[in-house]
Amino acid sequence: MTIWIAVGIFVLILSWIIFTYNSLVFYKNEVQNAWKQIDVQLKRRHDLIPNLVSVVKGYMAYERDILERVISARAMALSSSGVRARAACESQLTQALQGLFAVMENYPVLKSVESVMELQEELKSTENKIAFSRQFYNDLVANLRTKIEVFPNNIIAGLFGFGKAEYYSAGEDDRLRPPAQTVNRP
Amino acid sequence: MPLTFIEIEKQKTWRIGVFYFILVGLYFFTMFAFVQGFLFIFPYNYLKTGSFFIWHYPGALVTVTAIAVVLAGVHFWFSASGASDTVMTSLGAANPDPEDGVHRQLRNVVDEIHVVTGRTKKIDCMVIPSLSLNAIAVEDLNGHAVIGITEGLLSRLTRPQLEAVLAHEAYHILSNDCIQATVATSLFGMYAAMLEKIQDFGDEERGRGLHPVFFLFWTLTKLGQMLNLFISREREYRADAASVRMTRDPVAMAEALYFLSRNWRSTGLVGSGLEMLCIANPEESEQEEDEGFWQNLMSTHPPIMKRIDILLSMAHADISILNKDAAAATGTIKAGNQDDRYYLMDPHSRWQGPYSPGELASLSWLSPVTWTRTSHGRTVRRASEDSLIHDLLAERVNKMDGKSSSLACPLCRQPLARITYEKTHIDQCRFCGGSLIENDKIPRIVARREEVCTERVKSLARAVLTDNQRKISLRKIKGGPHDASHPVCCPKCGHPMFRTFYSLAYLIEIDRCGICGLTWFDQDELEMLQCVIENKIAADL
Repeated sequence: MTIWIAVGIFVLILSWIIFTYNSLVFYKNEVQNAWKQIDVQLKRRHDLIPNLVSVVKGYMAYERDILERVISARAMALSSSGVRARAACESQLTQALQGLFAVMENYPVLKSVESVMELQEELKSTENKIAFSRQFYNDLVANLRTKIEVFPNNIIAGLFGFGKAEYYSAGEDDRLRPPAQTVNRP
Repeated sequence: MPLTFIEIEKQKTWRIGVFYFILVGLYFFTMFAFVQGFLFIFPYNYLKTGSFFIWHYPGALVTVTAIAVVLAGVHFWFSASGASDTVMTSLGAANPDPEDGVHRQLRNVVDEIHVVTGRTKKIDCMVIPSLSLNAIAVEDLNGHAVIGITEGLLSRLTRPQLEAVLAHEAYHILSNDCIQATVATSLFGMYAAMLEKIQDFGDEERGRGLHPVFFLFWTLTKLGQMLNLFISREREYRADAASVRMTRDPVAMAEALYFLSRNWRSTGLVGSGLEMLCIANPEESEQEEDEGFWQNLMSTHPPIMKRIDILLSMAHADISILNKDAAAATGTIKAGNQDDRYYLMDPHSRWQGPYSPGELASLSWLSPVTWTRTSHGRTVRRASEDSLIHDLLAERVNKMDGKSSSLACPLCRQPLARITYEKTHIDQCRFCGGSLIENDKIPRIVARREEVCTERVKSLARAVLTDNQRKISLRKIKGGPHDASHPVCCPKCGHPMFRTFYSLAYLIEIDRCGICGLTWFDQDELEMLQCVIENKIAADL
């Protein structure tokens, strides 16, 4: 009788381990997938920038330094690796692009050039997609972190070596803002 | 009311779940009440077993339950299979045009919504050719989900606002609100129809009306409908919160709603039970809203002002920023336009103007040697010396080289140029200034306000309207035939086009080809039509 009880408890524990492990794997893969989605959008942005620069160049001869800043930021972003370094480079690129868009506002002629408007719309959309996929990624990372850190999941996570996923943090200027207030609940 | 969108979403999801469960229970009880009514009227069972009440007959209970389940299944099937296509076809919605700037933006925004939801479900978007302001989400059992947005709303919202609205609609689809709402409405709609039939039953002498035994049935049906509406309102709050969760921009959502609250938002779907799938109730105007407890109880949507308040409290802002922003937006447009107005000397050596840069682009007699003067500067110079006009002319040369249309102008017999007007492509004659437009593009051109309506067009429109109104009145009195003084032939098929008014509300004459679906606007007619609709100009008689 006691043997059966022991076997029963063992089976229960084993199935709990399997279940927890599998769910952790599931969440980890989701996070990885979300990271790949950001990658897709970042790549799209890198592809679009040369087109925009080459079209705009003819109209904005006096703004060479701004265009060059965009180009060099893109090159930096292309060569970076790792979540944190990548995030920093990409946020620089975002800023450079925003500077370019702001200057483009001063050239009403550009508004009548359809290809520029088209490219600008594409880039704007890609910017949004980057922000959105980042948001989605961070939500999933938060989810995974909670799963890993809560008891008793943390035992399994430690046993099989589940590392914490990194947040894709925003650029320097965003960090200057006061952080959202967190309320400690009893 | 909790402040954060996460809490609101959680709270509403819980509440909707519970009440939907109650609604399903209510559906069965209503069916029992209906049968119970008949048990009172036909006392066959009473004679046999000595009881009036349905719960004394287990057999009957099972049968009624089974019938109710089958009926619900049938309704579910019919109302939800292929529903998206039916609804969108009846609204005349079309897929976004890849050549059109605004539609391209719409497609991009829908793509962005896909990204932010993690691509869990594919959502199509379609454009409804209407000037009203609304958006609707439909989903059917085949998993075909569509968001429809009117041309009017599309052209009036800024990008963040559009994103917020589409996120709201997308959430209705992702959370299965659409299917649940469609089925629940049609099931209780069935009871309402049954009630009507029972009320009509009877003859003249004893009087029509509801038999007292059906009182319970009546009560439950009404209760069900009210519960349905309550759930619908909760869903709107939840979708608003979810939209903020996706876009993190409560102010944009509030702005969009604020804008909707002050404009016409009918979709052309009258009494179809789909009102609850729209972003704002299509049947109510601003005056009808906020009219007390009862009005709110019978409405598919919560009062817009309440929704705006919740959104603004998320952003820690108050209503004044909406007013301020609206004022600032119109202010900058006006200031920006006055800056770059041009006066030109026409071929008859008369000063014309003022023209905005957009109008200059379509001016047929503008050449590099035309004398020009800007509105703020006093110096007169050649057009080629002004950098902006110079670029415009260069652009025009490009257009002449590249995008000549295969069709010829019906008046000048010269090839038409494919140009971009209000972010869509139209064929325009470079000589007479007339334009040839596909019929399905007219609503979107009319809805958009990129091109500025000048005083010249305004006064011209007023005069033409008055003239046309007089003509119509005269024809009504005299009964004369429509004068076909100058028949224009369709550039595509060669058949004569018929000259008609755009509509009886907007008396601008246009030429239509009934075969190819093309419309020819003489010079200024298109601008006048836009101007008339935009500024609500009426004929003065």
